[in-house]
Amino acid sequence: MWEQSDREIVREVLNGNPDLFEVLVARYEKPIFNYVYGMVRHRQDAEDLTQEAFVKAFFALKTYKESFEFSTWMYRIARNVCLDYFRRQKIRSFFSLNTPVGEEEEDEVGDFLPAGKDPEEGVLEGELLEKVSEAVGKLPWKFREVIVLRYVEELPYEDIAQILGVPIGTVKTYLHRAKLRLKEMLGGEFL
Amino acid sequence: MVERKEKLDYYLERLPKFTVSRSFAPSVMARIRERQRPSYRRYKRLVVALGAAVLFVLMLTTNLPLTPRLEFFGYRTVKLVFCSTVRNPKTVAVAGDFSDWESIPMERVDENCYALTLRLRPGKYEYGFLVDGQWVPDPFSPRTVSDGFGGMNSILVVDGDTE
Repeated sequence: MWEQSDREIVREVLNGNPDLFEVLVARYEKPIFNYVYGMVRHRQDAEDLTQEAFVKAFFALKTYKESFEFSTWMYRIARNVCLDYFRRQKIRSFFSLNTPVGEEEEDEVGDFLPAGKDPEEGVLEGELLEKVSEAVGKLPWKFREVIVLRYVEELPYEDIAQILGVPIGTVKTYLHRAKLRLKEMLGGEFL
Repeated sequence: MVERKEKLDYYLERLPKFTVSRSFAPSVMARIRERQRPSYRRYKRLVVALGAAVLFVLMLTTNLPLTPRLEFFGYRTVKLVFCSTVRNPKTVAVAGDFSDWESIPMERVDENCYALTLRLRPGKYEYGFLVDGQWVPDPFSPRTVSDGFGGMNSILVVDGDTE
């Protein structure tokens, strides 16, 4: 079945068919949500921020340049929405006695068990996975971001570099340092 | 069995991926439509800013009692004039409850007349003139009241238009 490309849909939306934007939302809601969730680690906030990112994208659609992949452009918008969120959280935590940003929510990975394993092994793997996920959540922003984009979003280095606006070499460096940091945090069998 | 050197990668590659609710895309579209709709809320800030600007201009350019409690804007300019018709006084001062009954010397404007400009908030004040040390009610003020010592005080009413 023939499917319209992102660029074609954008053109149609701009030419007076705004409802077609829903196709783009449906196409990218999952990866963008997973990226945002990976960054903020709070399901409700992540859903709200992802919606906000799409709304912002809709109203900024005129500024979209076709030389970019729509998905890359969308990630960049979602990234800015996340950065705003962290700024707000920082201000909020400054004025209250809340726990620091990123530590408010219990990670939801606890409910997740790898498929196809016998229960005991599965439980052990689930625990390790939970530890890894928690450690990722404690990484500094730029390290957490590359880990999420690389391992959760499964994006190539080129795309990550475009989203972050840094050279590919920098992405690789961040990734290497992020993994070293994770190993330090996890210790034991991960070293 | 997971190899040691790849262990972190193994788990990172298995970090869970979540799906959003079915209503996600329709919710986004609803938010977009909501923001496209012109409404009072969209212009709320503009309306508030315009209202504040109009009020500020009115406060500065009119004597409307818009800010009776704000001292800076609540003051009115009142010019008191005392003209003697019978003699040529040497000193003329005014005293009233606006000055806590302390006398304020008036300025001579011509041979018989003395004047003083005061900044007073709207209200009713009792006052009188001290002409060469003698208490004299304002001969031009139609309203007087007993001072409780056998004399009379004049009444000054300061409203928005008082000059």
